Amino acid sequence: MKAAKDAPQKLAKAGKLPRDRRPRTRDYGYGNARTRGMKSNLLGAAFFEELMSASDLSKMIHLLLDTQYGPDLEARLIQGHTPAVVDDALKDNMVRTFAKIMGFVSDEARLLSITLLGRWDLFNIKTIIRGKHMKLKTETIVDSLLPVGEMTQVELKELAGLEDVLAVTDTLWTWGVPYSIPLRESVQEYLKESDLSVLELSLDRYYSQWAAKRLTSRRANYKLARMILGLQVDSTNLVTAFRLLKADTTEMDVKRLFLPGGVHVTEELFLGLTSLSDVDEVIDALKGTPYSAQLEKVLVPYLDANSIAVLERALEDYVMRKALGSGFGDPLGFGVMVSYLYAKQNEVTNVRIIVKGNAVGMPADRMRKELIFV
Amino acid sequence: MIKSKLATKMMVGGTFLAVAAIPAMAVAQDAAVKVAVAPNVAIAKAVAAAVTMSIAAMSAGYAQSKIGAAAAGTLAERPEAGTNLIVITALTEIIVLMGFVIAFMINA
Repeated sequence: MKAAKDAPQKLAKAGKLPRDRRPRTRDYGYGNARTRGMKSNLLGAAFFEELMSASDLSKMIHLLLDTQYGPDLEARLIQGHTPAVVDDALKDNMVRTFAKIMGFVSDEARLLSITLLGRWDLFNIKTIIRGKHMKLKTETIVDSLLPVGEMTQVELKELAGLEDVLAVTDTLWTWGVPYSIPLRESVQEYLKESDLSVLELSLDRYYSQWAAKRLTSRRANYKLARMILGLQVDSTNLVTAFRLLKADTTEMDVKRLFLPGGVHVTEELFLGLTSLSDVDEVIDALKGTPYSAQLEKVLVPYLDANSIAVLERALEDYVMRKALGSGFGDPLGFGVMVSYLYAKQNEVTNVRIIVKGNAVGMPADRMRKELIFV
Repeated sequence: MIKSKLATKMMVGGTFLAVAAIPAMAVAQDAAVKVAVAPNVAIAKAVAAAVTMSIAAMSAGYAQSKIGAAAAGTLAERPEAGTNLIVITALTEIIVLMGFVIAFMINA
Protein backbone atom coordinates (compact mmCIF):
# COMPACT_ATOMS: atom_id res chain seq x y z
CA MET A 1 0.00 0.00 0.00
CA LYS A 2 2.32 2.77 1.17
CA ALA A 3 5.97 2.72 2.03
CA ALA A 4 6.62 2.04 5.68
CA LYS A 5 9.48 4.47 5.95
CA ASP A 6 7.46 7.60 5.19
CA ALA A 7 4.34 6.53 7.07
CA PRO A 8 4.87 8.86 10.07
CA GLN A 9 5.39 11.87 7.78
CA LYS A 10 2.22 11.06 5.89
CA LEU A 11 0.31 10.55 9.10
CA ALA A 12 1.53 13.82 10.54
CA LYS A 13 -0.33 15.54 7.74
CA ALA A 14 -3.38 13.29 8.00
CA GLY A 15 -6.52 15.15 7.11
CA LYS A 16 -4.73 18.04 5.44
CA LEU A 17 -4.16 17.41 1.78
CA PRO A 18 -0.60 17.74 0.51
CA ARG A 19 -0.18 20.23 -2.36
CA ASP A 20 0.21 17.50 -4.99
CA ARG A 21 -3.04 15.80 -3.93
CA ARG A 22 -5.29 18.88 -3.98
CA PRO A 23 -8.01 18.64 -6.64
CA ARG A 24 -6.88 19.84 -10.04
CA THR A 25 -10.06 19.18 -12.00
CA ARG A 26 -13.47 20.37 -10.89
CA ASP A 27 -15.58 19.58 -13.93
CA TYR A 28 -18.77 17.70 -13.11
CA GLY A 29 -20.27 17.58 -16.62
CA TYR A 30 -19.01 14.16 -17.71
CA GLY A 31 -19.21 12.51 -14.31
CA ASN A 32 -22.68 13.78 -13.49
CA ALA A 33 -24.08 12.86 -16.92
CA ARG A 34 -22.69 9.36 -16.54
CA THR A 35 -23.97 9.09 -12.99
CA ARG A 36 -27.43 10.18 -14.14
CA GLY A 37 -27.28 7.49 -16.81
CA MET A 38 -26.45 4.93 -14.11
CA LYS A 39 -29.23 6.26 -11.91
CA SER A 40 -31.75 5.54 -14.64
CA ASN A 41 -30.83 1.83 -14.26
CA LEU A 42 -31.71 1.70 -10.56
CA LEU A 43 -34.54 -0.65 -9.61
CA GLY A 44 -37.98 0.78 -9.01
CA ALA A 45 -40.68 0.03 -6.43
CA ALA A 46 -42.49 -2.26 -8.93
CA PHE A 47 -39.42 -4.50 -9.15
CA PHE A 48 -39.15 -4.74 -5.36
CA GLU A 49 -42.82 -5.75 -5.19
CA GLU A 50 -42.18 -8.44 -7.81
CA LEU A 51 -39.11 -9.63 -5.90
CA MET A 52 -41.07 -9.81 -2.64
CA SER A 53 -43.78 -11.85 -4.28
CA ALA A 54 -41.24 -14.38 -5.64
CA SER A 55 -42.09 -17.87 -4.41
CA ASP A 56 -38.52 -19.03 -3.75
CA LEU A 57 -34.84 -18.15 -4.05
CA SER A 58 -34.42 -19.51 -7.60
CA LYS A 59 -37.25 -17.24 -8.79
CA MET A 60 -35.55 -14.27 -7.12
CA ILE A 61 -32.21 -15.17 -8.72
CA HIS A 62 -33.97 -15.40 -12.08
CA LEU A 63 -35.43 -11.90 -11.61
CA LEU A 64 -32.10 -10.44 -10.48
CA LEU A 65 -30.21 -11.97 -13.40
CA ASP A 66 -32.11 -9.63 -15.74
CA THR A 67 -30.92 -6.55 -13.86
CA GLN A 68 -27.55 -4.82 -13.51
CA TYR A 69 -26.74 -7.41 -10.81
CA GLY A 70 -26.76 -10.14 -13.47
CA PRO A 71 -23.00 -10.32 -14.22
CA ASP A 72 -22.02 -10.32 -10.53
CA LEU A 73 -24.65 -12.94 -9.75
CA GLU A 74 -23.52 -15.17 -12.62
CA ALA A 75 -19.94 -15.02 -11.38
CA ARG A 76 -21.00 -16.01 -7.84
CA LEU A 77 -23.57 -18.68 -8.69
CA ILE A 78 -20.75 -21.14 -9.35
CA GLN A 79 -20.48 -21.37 -5.55
CA GLY A 80 -24.13 -22.44 -5.22
CA HIS A 81 -27.67 -21.11 -5.08
CA THR A 82 -27.92 -19.84 -1.51
CA PRO A 83 -28.99 -16.49 0.02
CA ALA A 84 -25.38 -15.97 1.16
CA VAL A 85 -24.13 -16.27 -2.42
CA VAL A 86 -26.72 -13.73 -3.63
CA ASP A 87 -25.69 -11.46 -0.78
CA ASP A 88 -22.05 -11.68 -1.87
CA ALA A 89 -23.03 -10.89 -5.46
CA LEU A 90 -24.94 -7.79 -4.31
CA LYS A 91 -21.92 -6.64 -2.32
CA ASP A 92 -19.65 -7.31 -5.33
CA ASN A 93 -21.91 -5.16 -7.48
CA MET A 94 -21.87 -2.29 -5.00
CA VAL A 95 -18.08 -2.40 -4.68
CA ARG A 96 -17.68 -2.57 -8.48
CA THR A 97 -20.13 0.30 -9.04
CA PHE A 98 -18.49 2.60 -6.50
CA ALA A 99 -15.04 1.79 -7.91
CA LYS A 100 -16.33 2.56 -11.40
CA ILE A 101 -17.60 5.97 -10.25
CA MET A 102 -14.28 6.79 -8.61
CA GLY A 103 -12.62 5.96 -11.92
CA PHE A 104 -14.40 8.57 -14.03
CA VAL A 105 -15.15 11.52 -11.75
CA SER A 106 -13.08 14.70 -11.47
CA ASP A 107 -10.46 15.18 -8.74
CA GLU A 108 -12.75 17.30 -6.57
CA ALA A 109 -15.67 14.89 -6.83
CA ARG A 110 -13.31 11.99 -5.97
CA LEU A 111 -11.96 13.83 -2.94
CA LEU A 112 -15.45 14.62 -1.65
CA SER A 113 -16.77 11.12 -2.38
CA ILE A 114 -13.80 9.41 -0.70
CA THR A 115 -14.25 11.65 2.34
CA LEU A 116 -17.90 10.66 2.65
CA LEU A 117 -17.18 7.02 1.81
CA GLY A 118 -14.50 7.08 4.51
CA ARG A 119 -17.22 5.92 6.88
CA TRP A 120 -17.07 2.57 5.05
CA ASP A 121 -13.34 2.33 5.79
CA LEU A 122 -14.24 3.11 9.37
CA PHE A 123 -16.95 0.44 9.31
CA ASN A 124 -14.52 -2.13 7.87
CA ILE A 125 -11.76 -1.37 10.37
CA LYS A 126 -14.27 -1.54 13.23
CA THR A 127 -15.57 -4.87 11.88
CA ILE A 128 -12.04 -6.30 11.75
CA ILE A 129 -11.25 -5.06 15.26
CA ARG A 130 -14.52 -6.49 16.60
CA GLY A 131 -13.75 -9.79 14.87
CA LYS A 132 -10.25 -9.89 16.35
CA HIS A 133 -11.58 -8.95 19.78
CA MET A 134 -14.09 -11.80 19.65
CA LYS A 135 -11.52 -14.13 18.05
CA LEU A 136 -13.72 -14.86 15.03
CA LYS A 137 -12.50 -16.78 11.99
CA THR A 138 -10.90 -14.76 9.18
CA GLU A 139 -13.58 -15.93 6.69
CA THR A 140 -16.37 -14.72 8.99
CA ILE A 141 -14.78 -11.29 9.26
CA VAL A 142 -14.13 -11.07 5.51
CA ASP A 143 -17.78 -11.91 4.78
CA SER A 144 -18.90 -8.88 6.76
CA LEU A 145 -16.60 -6.41 4.99
CA LEU A 146 -17.67 -4.03 2.26
CA PRO A 147 -14.63 -2.43 0.59
CA VAL A 148 -16.26 0.61 -0.99
CA GLY A 149 -13.98 3.14 0.68
CA GLU A 150 -10.32 3.87 0.02
CA MET A 151 -9.09 0.52 1.34
CA THR A 152 -9.18 -2.36 -1.11
CA GLN A 153 -10.48 -5.90 -0.69
CA VAL A 154 -6.90 -7.26 -0.67
CA GLU A 155 -5.80 -4.87 2.08
CA LEU A 156 -8.85 -5.61 4.20
CA LYS A 157 -8.40 -9.37 3.77
CA GLU A 158 -4.80 -9.05 4.89
CA LEU A 159 -5.90 -7.10 7.98
CA ALA A 160 -8.62 -9.65 8.74
CA GLY A 161 -6.01 -12.42 8.63
CA LEU A 162 -3.79 -10.82 11.29
CA GLU A 163 -3.43 -12.21 14.77
CA ASP A 164 -4.97 -9.59 17.07
CA VAL A 165 -6.01 -5.95 17.47
CA LEU A 166 -2.44 -4.83 18.18
CA ALA A 167 -1.22 -6.42 14.93
CA VAL A 168 -4.03 -4.66 13.01
CA THR A 169 -3.05 -1.32 14.55
CA ASP A 170 0.65 -1.78 13.77
CA THR A 171 -0.05 -2.86 10.18
CA LEU A 172 -2.30 0.14 9.56
CA TRP A 173 0.45 2.39 10.96
CA THR A 174 3.03 0.77 8.70
CA TRP A 175 0.79 1.32 5.69
CA GLY A 176 0.32 4.98 6.62
CA VAL A 177 -3.44 4.69 7.00
CA PRO A 178 -4.68 7.72 9.01
CA TYR A 179 -7.02 5.57 11.14
CA SER A 180 -3.98 4.07 12.84
CA ILE A 181 -3.48 7.37 14.70
CA PRO A 182 -6.54 7.03 16.99
CA LEU A 183 -5.94 3.28 17.28
CA ARG A 184 -2.36 3.76 18.49
CA GLU A 185 -3.50 6.40 20.95
CA SER A 186 -6.11 4.17 22.57
CA VAL A 187 -4.79 0.64 22.04
CA GLN A 188 -2.95 0.56 25.40
CA GLU A 189 -6.14 1.51 27.25
CA TYR A 190 -7.99 -1.19 25.30
CA LEU A 191 -5.37 -3.81 26.18
CA LYS A 192 -5.53 -2.82 29.83
CA GLU A 193 -9.33 -2.81 30.17
CA SER A 194 -10.26 -5.06 27.22
CA ASP A 195 -12.99 -2.54 26.41
CA LEU A 196 -13.68 -2.36 22.68
CA SER A 197 -15.74 0.83 22.93
CA VAL A 198 -12.53 2.75 23.70
CA LEU A 199 -11.17 1.95 20.24
CA GLU A 200 -14.49 2.44 18.47
CA LEU A 201 -15.10 5.80 20.07
CA SER A 202 -11.65 7.10 19.21
CA LEU A 203 -12.09 5.89 15.60
CA ASP A 204 -15.49 7.63 15.29
CA ARG A 205 -14.13 10.83 16.75
CA TYR A 206 -11.09 10.72 14.51
CA TYR A 207 -13.17 10.14 11.36
CA SER A 208 -15.46 13.11 11.98
CA GLN A 209 -12.45 15.37 12.61
CA TRP A 210 -10.47 13.96 9.65
CA ALA A 211 -13.40 14.43 7.28
CA ALA A 212 -14.16 17.93 8.57
CA LYS A 213 -10.53 18.94 7.93
CA ARG A 214 -10.79 17.81 4.30
CA LEU A 215 -14.00 19.75 3.77
CA THR A 216 -12.98 23.22 4.87
CA SER A 217 -13.38 25.00 1.51
CA ARG A 218 -16.20 27.54 1.05
CA ARG A 219 -17.27 26.09 -2.30
CA ALA A 220 -20.89 24.96 -2.60
CA ASN A 221 -19.90 21.33 -3.23
CA TYR A 222 -17.83 21.23 -0.04
CA LYS A 223 -20.71 22.79 1.89
CA LEU A 224 -23.00 20.03 0.65
CA ALA A 225 -20.50 17.33 1.65
CA ARG A 226 -20.13 19.01 5.07
CA MET A 227 -23.91 18.98 5.50
CA ILE A 228 -24.17 15.25 4.71
CA LEU A 229 -21.26 14.49 7.05
CA GLY A 230 -22.91 16.61 9.77
CA LEU A 231 -26.19 14.70 9.42
CA GLN A 232 -24.30 11.42 9.75
CA VAL A 233 -22.58 12.68 12.89
CA ASP A 234 -25.94 13.85 14.32
CA SER A 235 -27.37 10.43 13.59
CA THR A 236 -24.51 8.68 15.43
CA ASN A 237 -24.87 11.04 18.42
CA LEU A 238 -28.62 10.45 18.62
CA VAL A 239 -28.20 6.67 18.49
CA THR A 240 -25.64 6.96 21.32
CA ALA A 241 -28.13 9.08 23.29
CA PHE A 242 -30.87 6.46 22.76
CA ARG A 243 -28.53 3.68 23.89
CA LEU A 244 -27.74 5.62 27.05
CA LEU A 245 -31.43 5.88 27.98
CA LYS A 246 -31.33 2.46 29.57
CA ALA A 247 -27.84 2.83 30.99
CA ASP A 248 -26.76 4.26 34.31
CA THR A 249 -24.83 7.40 33.38
CA THR A 250 -24.13 8.75 36.84
CA GLU A 251 -20.53 7.58 36.92
CA MET A 252 -19.95 7.80 33.20
CA ASP A 253 -18.08 10.58 31.38
CA VAL A 254 -20.88 11.19 28.86
CA LYS A 255 -19.12 14.17 27.30
CA ARG A 256 -16.52 11.78 25.96
CA LEU A 257 -19.15 9.96 23.89
CA PHE A 258 -20.13 13.09 21.96
CA LEU A 259 -18.87 13.40 18.37
CA PRO A 260 -18.25 16.98 17.25
CA GLY A 261 -19.19 18.23 13.77
CA GLY A 262 -22.96 17.67 13.74
CA VAL A 263 -25.49 20.02 12.13
CA HIS A 264 -28.34 20.13 14.66
CA VAL A 265 -27.18 18.15 17.70
CA THR A 266 -24.82 20.34 19.70
CA GLU A 267 -22.77 19.14 22.66
CA GLU A 268 -25.14 20.94 25.04
CA LEU A 269 -28.19 19.27 23.49
CA PHE A 270 -26.45 15.88 23.53
CA LEU A 271 -25.61 16.19 27.23
CA GLY A 272 -29.22 17.19 27.88
CA LEU A 273 -30.50 14.16 25.98
CA THR A 274 -28.28 11.74 27.88
CA SER A 275 -29.70 12.96 31.18
CA LEU A 276 -33.22 11.94 30.12
CA SER A 277 -34.75 8.54 30.77
CA ASP A 278 -37.58 8.19 28.26
CA VAL A 279 -37.83 8.26 24.45
CA ASP A 280 -40.80 10.66 24.61
CA GLU A 281 -38.69 13.14 26.57
CA VAL A 282 -35.87 12.82 24.03
CA ILE A 283 -38.25 13.53 21.16
CA ASP A 284 -39.63 16.54 23.05
CA ALA A 285 -36.10 17.81 23.66
CA LEU A 286 -35.37 17.47 19.95
CA LYS A 287 -38.23 19.87 19.03
CA GLY A 288 -36.81 22.52 16.76
CA THR A 289 -34.63 20.01 14.93
CA PRO A 290 -35.82 17.98 11.90
CA TYR A 291 -35.26 14.73 13.82
CA SER A 292 -38.23 15.26 16.14
CA ALA A 293 -40.89 14.74 13.44
CA GLN A 294 -38.91 11.88 11.90
CA LEU A 295 -38.61 10.01 15.23
CA GLU A 296 -42.20 10.74 16.25
CA LYS A 297 -43.38 8.82 13.17
CA VAL A 298 -41.69 5.61 14.35
CA LEU A 299 -42.48 5.94 18.04
CA VAL A 300 -45.23 3.30 17.98
CA PRO A 301 -43.18 0.73 15.99
CA TYR A 302 -40.28 1.39 18.39
CA LEU A 303 -42.45 0.76 21.45
CA ASP A 304 -43.84 -2.40 19.79
CA ALA A 305 -40.45 -3.80 18.84
CA ASN A 306 -38.55 -2.28 21.80
CA SER A 307 -35.51 -2.05 19.55
CA ILE A 308 -33.21 0.90 18.93
CA ALA A 309 -32.78 -0.44 15.38
CA VAL A 310 -36.18 1.11 14.55
CA LEU A 311 -34.99 4.57 15.57
CA GLU A 312 -31.65 4.00 13.86
CA ARG A 313 -33.40 3.10 10.61
CA ALA A 314 -35.61 6.22 10.87
CA LEU A 315 -32.55 8.44 11.25
CA GLU A 316 -30.87 6.62 8.38
CA ASP A 317 -34.01 7.24 6.32
CA TYR A 318 -33.79 10.97 7.05
CA VAL A 319 -30.11 11.23 6.07
CA MET A 320 -30.86 9.17 2.95
CA ARG A 321 -33.71 11.47 1.87
CA LYS A 322 -31.59 14.58 2.42
CA ALA A 323 -28.79 13.04 0.36
CA LEU A 324 -31.19 12.02 -2.40
CA GLY A 325 -32.77 15.47 -2.40
CA SER A 326 -29.36 17.06 -2.99
CA GLY A 327 -29.42 15.54 -6.49
CA PHE A 328 -32.23 17.87 -7.56
CA GLY A 329 -30.19 21.04 -7.06
CA ASP A 330 -27.24 22.05 -9.19
CA PRO A 331 -27.00 19.69 -12.21
CA LEU A 332 -23.27 20.45 -12.40
CA GLY A 333 -22.61 20.01 -8.68
CA PHE A 334 -21.62 17.23 -6.28
CA GLY A 335 -25.25 16.63 -5.28
CA VAL A 336 -25.91 14.38 -8.29
CA MET A 337 -23.14 12.03 -7.19
CA VAL A 338 -24.13 12.06 -3.50
CA SER A 339 -27.68 11.27 -4.53
CA TYR A 340 -26.58 8.29 -6.64
CA LEU A 341 -24.16 6.89 -4.04
CA TYR A 342 -26.92 6.88 -1.41
CA ALA A 343 -29.58 5.60 -3.81
CA LYS A 344 -27.34 2.70 -4.83
CA GLN A 345 -26.52 1.86 -1.22
CA ASN A 346 -30.23 1.93 -0.41
CA GLU A 347 -31.06 -0.28 -3.36
CA VAL A 348 -28.52 -2.92 -2.31
CA THR A 349 -29.83 -2.76 1.28
CA ASN A 350 -33.41 -3.21 0.02
CA VAL A 351 -32.55 -6.22 -2.16
CA ARG A 352 -30.54 -7.80 0.69
CA ILE A 353 -33.49 -7.37 3.06
CA ILE A 354 -35.85 -9.01 0.56
CA VAL A 355 -33.49 -11.91 -0.24
CA LYS A 356 -32.75 -12.63 3.41
CA GLY A 357 -36.37 -12.02 4.46
CA ASN A 358 -37.71 -14.34 1.79
CA ALA A 359 -35.20 -17.01 2.77
CA VAL A 360 -36.46 -17.05 6.37
CA GLY A 361 -40.13 -16.79 5.33
CA MET A 362 -40.72 -13.21 6.43
CA PRO A 363 -44.15 -11.88 5.36
CA ALA A 364 -44.15 -9.30 2.53
CA ASP A 365 -45.79 -6.65 4.75
CA ARG A 366 -43.02 -6.92 7.30
CA MET A 367 -40.37 -6.68 4.56
CA ARG A 368 -42.13 -3.66 3.06
CA LYS A 369 -41.84 -1.85 6.42
CA GLU A 370 -38.10 -2.43 6.46
CA LEU A 371 -37.51 -1.04 2.97
CA ILE A 372 -36.84 2.57 2.09
CA PHE A 373 -38.44 3.47 -1.24
CA VAL A 374 -36.93 6.46 -3.01
CA MET B 1 -40.42 7.46 -34.05
CA ILE B 2 -36.88 8.64 -33.31
CA LYS B 3 -36.28 9.26 -37.03
CA SER B 4 -39.43 11.39 -37.36
CA LYS B 5 -38.40 13.41 -34.28
CA LEU B 6 -34.97 13.96 -35.79
CA ALA B 7 -36.50 15.04 -39.11
CA THR B 8 -38.73 17.57 -37.29
CA LYS B 9 -35.77 18.96 -35.40
CA MET B 10 -33.75 19.26 -38.62
CA MET B 11 -36.62 21.06 -40.35
CA VAL B 12 -36.99 23.54 -37.49
CA GLY B 13 -33.23 24.09 -37.48
CA GLY B 14 -33.12 24.60 -41.26
CA THR B 15 -35.97 27.11 -41.19
CA PHE B 16 -34.29 29.02 -38.40
CA LEU B 17 -31.01 29.20 -40.31
CA ALA B 18 -32.77 30.32 -43.50
CA VAL B 19 -34.56 33.15 -41.62
CA ALA B 20 -31.29 34.18 -40.02
CA ALA B 21 -29.49 34.23 -43.36
CA ILE B 22 -32.04 36.43 -45.23
CA PRO B 23 -30.94 39.78 -43.70
CA ALA B 24 -27.33 38.88 -44.36
CA MET B 25 -28.04 38.21 -48.03
CA ALA B 26 -30.02 41.46 -48.28
CA VAL B 27 -27.12 43.42 -46.78
CA ALA B 28 -24.72 41.66 -49.14
CA GLN B 29 -26.80 42.81 -52.13
CA ASP B 30 -26.85 46.40 -50.79
CA ALA B 31 -23.09 46.33 -50.36
CA ALA B 32 -22.58 45.70 -54.05
CA VAL B 33 -24.00 49.11 -54.94
CA LYS B 34 -22.31 51.07 -52.10
CA VAL B 35 -19.34 53.33 -52.71
CA ALA B 36 -15.94 52.78 -51.08
CA VAL B 37 -15.65 53.84 -47.38
CA ALA B 38 -12.75 55.57 -45.62
CA PRO B 39 -9.80 53.20 -44.83
CA ASN B 40 -10.02 53.72 -41.03
CA VAL B 41 -13.73 52.82 -41.06
CA ALA B 42 -12.99 49.74 -43.15
CA ILE B 43 -10.28 48.65 -40.68
CA ALA B 44 -12.60 49.24 -37.71
CA LYS B 45 -15.31 47.21 -39.39
CA ALA B 46 -12.90 44.38 -40.15
CA VAL B 47 -11.67 44.34 -36.55
CA ALA B 48 -15.26 44.39 -35.21
CA ALA B 49 -16.21 41.54 -37.53
CA ALA B 50 -13.15 39.54 -36.46
CA VAL B 51 -13.91 40.12 -32.76
CA THR B 52 -17.55 39.13 -33.27
CA MET B 53 -16.62 35.98 -35.08
CA SER B 54 -13.90 35.06 -32.55
CA ILE B 55 -16.11 35.55 -29.51
CA ALA B 56 -18.93 33.59 -31.16
CA ALA B 57 -16.55 30.76 -32.08
CA MET B 58 -14.97 30.63 -28.62
CA SER B 59 -18.38 30.69 -26.92
CA ALA B 60 -19.60 27.88 -29.13
CA GLY B 61 -16.41 25.95 -28.43
CA TYR B 62 -16.84 26.37 -24.68
CA ALA B 63 -20.50 25.37 -24.81
CA GLN B 64 -19.71 22.40 -27.02
CA SER B 65 -16.93 21.22 -24.72
CA LYS B 66 -19.35 21.17 -21.77
CA ILE B 67 -22.20 19.61 -23.71
CA GLY B 68 -19.86 17.19 -25.47
CA ALA B 69 -18.40 15.98 -22.18
CA ALA B 70 -21.86 15.45 -20.70
CA ALA B 71 -23.02 13.77 -23.92
CA ALA B 72 -20.03 11.41 -23.85
CA GLY B 73 -20.86 10.54 -20.25
CA THR B 74 -24.49 9.81 -21.09
CA LEU B 75 -23.49 7.84 -24.19
CA ALA B 76 -21.23 5.60 -22.07
CA GLU B 77 -24.19 4.53 -19.91
CA ARG B 78 -27.13 4.90 -22.31
CA PRO B 79 -26.04 4.32 -25.93
CA GLU B 80 -29.69 4.40 -27.05
CA ALA B 81 -29.76 8.17 -26.43
CA GLY B 82 -27.05 8.72 -29.09
CA THR B 83 -29.21 10.38 -31.77
CA ASN B 84 -30.63 12.97 -29.39
CA LEU B 85 -27.15 13.67 -28.04
CA ILE B 86 -25.77 14.44 -31.50
CA VAL B 87 -28.59 16.96 -32.09
CA ILE B 88 -28.02 18.60 -28.69
CA THR B 89 -24.26 18.81 -29.26
CA ALA B 90 -24.73 20.26 -32.76
CA LEU B 91 -27.22 22.91 -31.55
CA THR B 92 -24.38 25.03 -30.18
CA GLU B 93 -23.08 25.49 -33.74
CA ILE B 94 -25.88 28.06 -34.13
CA ILE B 95 -23.87 30.42 -31.92
CA VAL B 96 -21.05 30.40 -34.50
CA LEU B 97 -23.48 30.82 -37.37
CA MET B 98 -25.03 33.82 -35.62
CA GLY B 99 -21.57 35.29 -35.12
CA PHE B 100 -20.78 34.69 -38.78
CA VAL B 101 -23.99 36.42 -39.93
CA ILE B 102 -23.41 39.41 -37.64
CA ALA B 103 -19.76 39.68 -38.74
CA PHE B 104 -20.95 39.61 -42.34
CA MET B 105 -23.49 42.37 -41.64
CA ILE B 106 -20.86 44.55 -39.97
CA ASN B 107 -18.47 44.21 -42.86
CA ALA B 108 -21.08 44.81 -45.54
